[in-house]
Amino acid sequence: MNGQVVYRLAFCIVAVVAILLQGCTRSDLAHDLPDKVDFNYHVRPILSNTCYVCHGPDVSTREAELRLDTYDGATARREGGQAIVPGNAKRSLLIQRVSAHDPEERMPPPKINKILTEYEIALLSKWIDQGAEYKTHWALIPPENPPDEATIDAFLQADIERSGIQPAAMASRASLIRRASYVLTGLPPSPKDVEAFEKDESPDAYERVLDTLLASPAFGERWARHWMDLVRYAEARGHEFDFTIHGAWQYRDYLIRAFNEDVLYDQFILEHLAGDVLKEPRRNPKEGFNESVIGTAYFALGEGKHSPVDTRIDEAERIDNIIDVTTKTFQGLTVACARCHDHKFDPIPTTDFYSLYGIVESARFTPVPILSEGYLNGLRSLIDFNKTLRLDIANRWQSSLGEVPAVPASMTKYPPTVRDTTASWELLGDFREGSFDTWFTDGVAFEGGTSHGPPVIEDARLVQLSEGVASSRHISKGIPGALRSPTFTIAHDTITVMAKGYKSALRLVVDNFQLIRAPIHGELDQVLSSDELRPYRFPLDLWQGHKAYIELLVGTYDRKQFLTDQHMLVVNDSSYFEIAYAVAHNEAAPALPPRELEQAPLPQSVSAWAAQKASPAQVAAINQALESGALERPLLNDVVSQRQEIKQAMPAAEFFIGMTEGDVVTSAVFGRGNYKTPVGDPVPHRFLTALDPTGSTFNKTPSGRLEFAEAIIDPANPLTARVMANRLWHHVFGRGIVKTVDNFGGQGSLPTHPELLDYLALRFVELDWSMKSMLREILLSEAFQRSTQVPENAAELDPSNLLLSHYPVRRLEAEAIRDGILAVSGALDTTMYGPPIPIHLTEFMTGRGQPAVNGPLDGDGRRSIYIAIRRNFLSPMMLAFDMPIPFSTFGARNSSNVPAQSLTLLNDAFVAEQAVHWADTLVGQPHLDIADRVRHIYLQALSRLPDPNELEEAQAFIDAEAEALGLQSIEIMHAAELWAAYCHVVFNQKEFIYLI
Amino acid sequence: MTRREMLTMCRNGFGGVALMGLMGSSAFGNIIKQVAPSGPHPLAPRPSDLIPKARSIIFLYMDGGVSQVDSFDPKPRLAREHGQSPYDKFTVDATQFNSIGTILKSPWDFQRYGESGIEVSDLFPHVGECVDDLAIIRSMVADFPEHTNANYFLHTGIGIQGRPSMGAWINYGLGTENQDLPGYVVLDGGLIPPGGLDNFNSGFLPASYQGSIFRAGDTPLANIEPKEPTSELQRRKLNLMSRTDNHLLGRIGNSDQVESAITNYELAYRMQASVPELTDLSGETEATKKLYGLDSSEPDTRIYAAQCLLARRLVERGVRFIELTCPNVRADRWDQHANLKEGHERNALAVDQPIAGLIRDLKARGMFEDTLVIWAGEFGRTPFAQGTNGRDHNPSAFSIWLAGAGIKGGTVYGATDEYGYRAIENVTTIHDLHATMLYLLGLEHEHLTYRFSGRDIRLTDVGGNVIRGILA
Repeated sequence: MNGQVVYRLAFCIVAVVAILLQGCTRSDLAHDLPDKVDFNYHVRPILSNTCYVCHGPDVSTREAELRLDTYDGATARREGGQAIVPGNAKRSLLIQRVSAHDPEERMPPPKINKILTEYEIALLSKWIDQGAEYKTHWALIPPENPPDEATIDAFLQADIERSGIQPAAMASRASLIRRASYVLTGLPPSPKDVEAFEKDESPDAYERVLDTLLASPAFGERWARHWMDLVRYAEARGHEFDFTIHGAWQYRDYLIRAFNEDVLYDQFILEHLAGDVLKEPRRNPKEGFNESVIGTAYFALGEGKHSPVDTRIDEAERIDNIIDVTTKTFQGLTVACARCHDHKFDPIPTTDFYSLYGIVESARFTPVPILSEGYLNGLRSLIDFNKTLRLDIANRWQSSLGEVPAVPASMTKYPPTVRDTTASWELLGDFREGSFDTWFTDGVAFEGGTSHGPPVIEDARLVQLSEGVASSRHISKGIPGALRSPTFTIAHDTITVMAKGYKSALRLVVDNFQLIRAPIHGELDQVLSSDELRPYRFPLDLWQGHKAYIELLVGTYDRKQFLTDQHMLVVNDSSYFEIAYAVAHNEAAPALPPRELEQAPLPQSVSAWAAQKASPAQVAAINQALESGALERPLLNDVVSQRQEIKQAMPAAEFFIGMTEGDVVTSAVFGRGNYKTPVGDPVPHRFLTALDPTGSTFNKTPSGRLEFAEAIIDPANPLTARVMANRLWHHVFGRGIVKTVDNFGGQGSLPTHPELLDYLALRFVELDWSMKSMLREILLSEAFQRSTQVPENAAELDPSNLLLSHYPVRRLEAEAIRDGILAVSGALDTTMYGPPIPIHLTEFMTGRGQPAVNGPLDGDGRRSIYIAIRRNFLSPMMLAFDMPIPFSTFGARNSSNVPAQSLTLLNDAFVAEQAVHWADTLVGQPHLDIADRVRHIYLQALSRLPDPNELEEAQAFIDAEAEALGLQSIEIMHAAELWAAYCHVVFNQKEFIYLI
Repeated sequence: MTRREMLTMCRNGFGGVALMGLMGSSAFGNIIKQVAPSGPHPLAPRPSDLIPKARSIIFLYMDGGVSQVDSFDPKPRLAREHGQSPYDKFTVDATQFNSIGTILKSPWDFQRYGESGIEVSDLFPHVGECVDDLAIIRSMVADFPEHTNANYFLHTGIGIQGRPSMGAWINYGLGTENQDLPGYVVLDGGLIPPGGLDNFNSGFLPASYQGSIFRAGDTPLANIEPKEPTSELQRRKLNLMSRTDNHLLGRIGNSDQVESAITNYELAYRMQASVPELTDLSGETEATKKLYGLDSSEPDTRIYAAQCLLARRLVERGVRFIELTCPNVRADRWDQHANLKEGHERNALAVDQPIAGLIRDLKARGMFEDTLVIWAGEFGRTPFAQGTNGRDHNPSAFSIWLAGAGIKGGTVYGATDEYGYRAIENVTTIHDLHATMLYLLGLEHEHLTYRFSGRDIRLTDVGGNVIRGILA
């Protein structure tokens, strides 16, 4: 922060609240105005809230050609005077208009529905009198270095002292370990841990508790769930039939591993945005698969429509959602507001939105296989096996070559690869020479360069070499891979693809539309099922002028009518595809002109083939020699079965939907957000202009995602570290230093402690972006360790506890409540990872897309993070306790307080069942007496012992219940029904669901 | 703090204010009065706009899209040109199935009813008798030709998942008069619309405002039935909870959140009694039951009759917004891509008499003046066939009607072209409908906002005009 002017915002807010509470007169106002009025902290909030809608950055709705968001605009000489005359509030039209008595004169006009308070007008006046200095928005100014002796508590303490509040005492050990345990792991501490911590007198006892919690696998489960709120995590697409998002849970597991391994936040961002193009991806330490690429699954977690009548609108909605989620999550900016018009409050023009639009539009969704080390080893064995086989065959041929007759001078098998574009047809891809043309290969099926010339084996005999196609089976069948064309614009009647294959997909992806199925899109997805090349046709009458690419996939998308698991890629062991060419044409498919091939001498052809470097002519020469009998067709006994053996030892590849690169697609601005009215030239891929004024274009990868990610993790980016440090703070204290954790723009809240936020941001980078280290420091602060007891004058001076004079009481999140119940009842199954547990369907959860399987009431005792999240069948219990609906970024959940929550804990079958479960384990335990057991229950559920009053009341309840049940006193300790009733009460105690 | 924010705080229990309201079971307006700062309040509405006509809304949702040319928008030309190609008549838009057949005449005749003489098809003989109470809008348009988006659009004003439903907005704006019942109730007749329960959710508004789903059966509302074998046991439990919770308050000093949570248990306890009382229809007279069709030989009619009667009982108890979903008549809602005649007939049979019964009952009880009844689907259907005997989705024209509070009965508003394909006169949007609903409740749609994602978001997004032509 500026050295001269220190903005104690928290203190200011407290002061203002005090003023509002007391009521005020003009003279009070003058007295309470800050000495130096600051644009960012005092003035912009007023202007942004009241004036910018008509006098802000958005030119399309600007009134009277007046803008107040810039100094030049506000001070421009206009007819009738200047809106702002620096140094002279009285002469400034702005002040005259906002304080006018005549409603016709007064600004803002009635339709804005806002009136400035006297305090606000006084602030504006003082600011103008002091020179009307404009400043860059606070969040875009790089954080300033703190004093050397800075600590979290020093920043907080300064404001608390100024307020005159005496901060709360330290929390009890029991309370502290419970708090830390829930904050870090989302679970209560065990009675053993509580007792150990209470007894531990060593000075680093608390630090060691934190280290244990940070190292717990439950840490990742807790913090992954926080992150899932940001990326609208769901496992099904919603819309009408709620189709499964293939492998979404793999991303959930990726998050849990990443948080547990403390993957550094800059790496974490790189993986999300560009994990598929990283030169050295992070590999799973145990299983060796590529972890980084799984980050890109977050792109695919949005809503999805299976039958859009207009695919371009559908694409625009999807990209808009991705931009919305991406910019809020990583930058705390609401860039999606600039979809239809320049941002009304922040310096984000529509061109920024459409620059990002082009970046997302260029990237392509793809099923990504997760290939463990075991799989990759098998693949290497296959490649080695094939290589040996080739050498072996070549050797046999070489030794017989002496007797070979001369080959003919030329052959006319292959056409030229010219792009012969005429009015009636256009060659989209030609693979007859063995190259991949300009198409994009993806996946391990295409490792090793060319796919030309693998032996075709029939009845254990090599009959010929495969030629004239790009092939996914040059290693073997069933190996995952994709081949995709460049993006083109549909201008012909038909596309014909000459291809063959087995249980593999040939798709025309129009406007990046993926959820292809009937009624109107079914024919865009065809299944290859022929071992002979044959033409596959796509009629294009619906798609004239649309952007598209052709995609061949090993495997098929299951498209059974109305099944929610459809659109999952299924790869059969024998799946493969081969393609000769693709052509777009009107009327009949054209006959492609042949061309003459040079003569290739056979010995060189055989050696080149052995080295897997044969040219098309050389492969042709060998095939001709095989045909003529000049080369023998060797018997290859056991080859097929030996290959099969290797394959069978390979673990299955699992898939998720992630991102891959295509070619550069750029988008023009859509006028009013409508693609039908593009405005101006396409916008190049580049970063947000407010953060990179140079506007340099991304060109390292076609989509530019890598550079986009690099711009975000650049330590000079003023937002990234601030936004994330603030998110961590939010989850620790229940409220961010910037309350609007997803919006650091002009409409977001101002930081209560700007210097502290800067300190944390810089410290976060200094800690190498380690989230665990950052959390450790925050939890070590005194602020975190204070009691929740409200200090004497705090309720009056700081009712919202902005100063953190005490630890804020907060309700646990939905997941923590449910997981806490399971942990306490003893039903918690701590198994990690894997496919989601089906959601339990209550009788209220009906409708289209209803899951075929009704999940168990207790979710098999698994933590909530493992319960299926299907958009149209969300858990009522989770929703009642404010789990967000997964449609946008929710860094800060609501914390509502409704009877449905009471009814859930009081009457829900799950809670009752868990009380019974808990009681069943209790009655088997050798407690001395009722009091002893109640003490144990308190320790389990509330991490503390009951006080005498509580003990007495529990005893009274149990006595009454024993009487109602007609129990003898000797039977009480074994009466499960009685204890279930008591345990049920404990689940319903507020202390159980609040962090105290 | 704006009034809206204050309301949010009240409803979500962040302040003692909410407790005052809940404990005193006062009407919501009183709470505002207690805390509203003096002087011109930023959201103080202009009086001319804020005389509420309606206290409650009953929204009769016709899931799947009723065909306008077969219900409330007669088009004789379809009969004359039956079997001809639509391509020769007008520009045909892409449809959901894109299986464009020929012009299809309505399988039903239309009759003139009432003093207004408005024509209604033979699908709705009972509702036809009430036509002098209805304002029919024939010029509705929707933005989406797909069910889910159109449903979200109709319910939340935005065609994607996650926005607050109209019922949530209304409760956010007005609160509820009955603290023992939820303020926004969905009576699930059997069909949850495409898009799922999110059609009734509170989106980014706090969970307080989400719709509560009521079903027919022993447990009308989730978790409303105590699991304890005796009510004494539950009372003992609540007693112990309240004692321990009060200890807690004593230990930590005041916490508004915890206090509100405690109060919610009192509320929940009362709801356990008030909901069964609500759904118990045994106190209704035979005449009333008959009026709604509870004695019908058609099981689907009986289901919807009970829902309509329940809707009236909810209005009596001060519930703000009640939506009825359709019964499952085994013909895929109103969504007749094929077999239009059979499917529409089954659906109409289920709802026609109960709806007419509801209107008559509300009138007889003097409740019609402050209850707004709305009948609407998410879009209309094509005037040409899908295949041979179905109709595809058509967002370019459909008919809805409103009746009751503030509505000018016997009105036809807007018009479609001669085929009923496109709205051409007084074209009316969903945002207009929402603006009108809010207006009749005394809320200005441009002022009912909530800050999310850096924007003050409205139910009406950036559109909406009150439909003056249908107002009394």
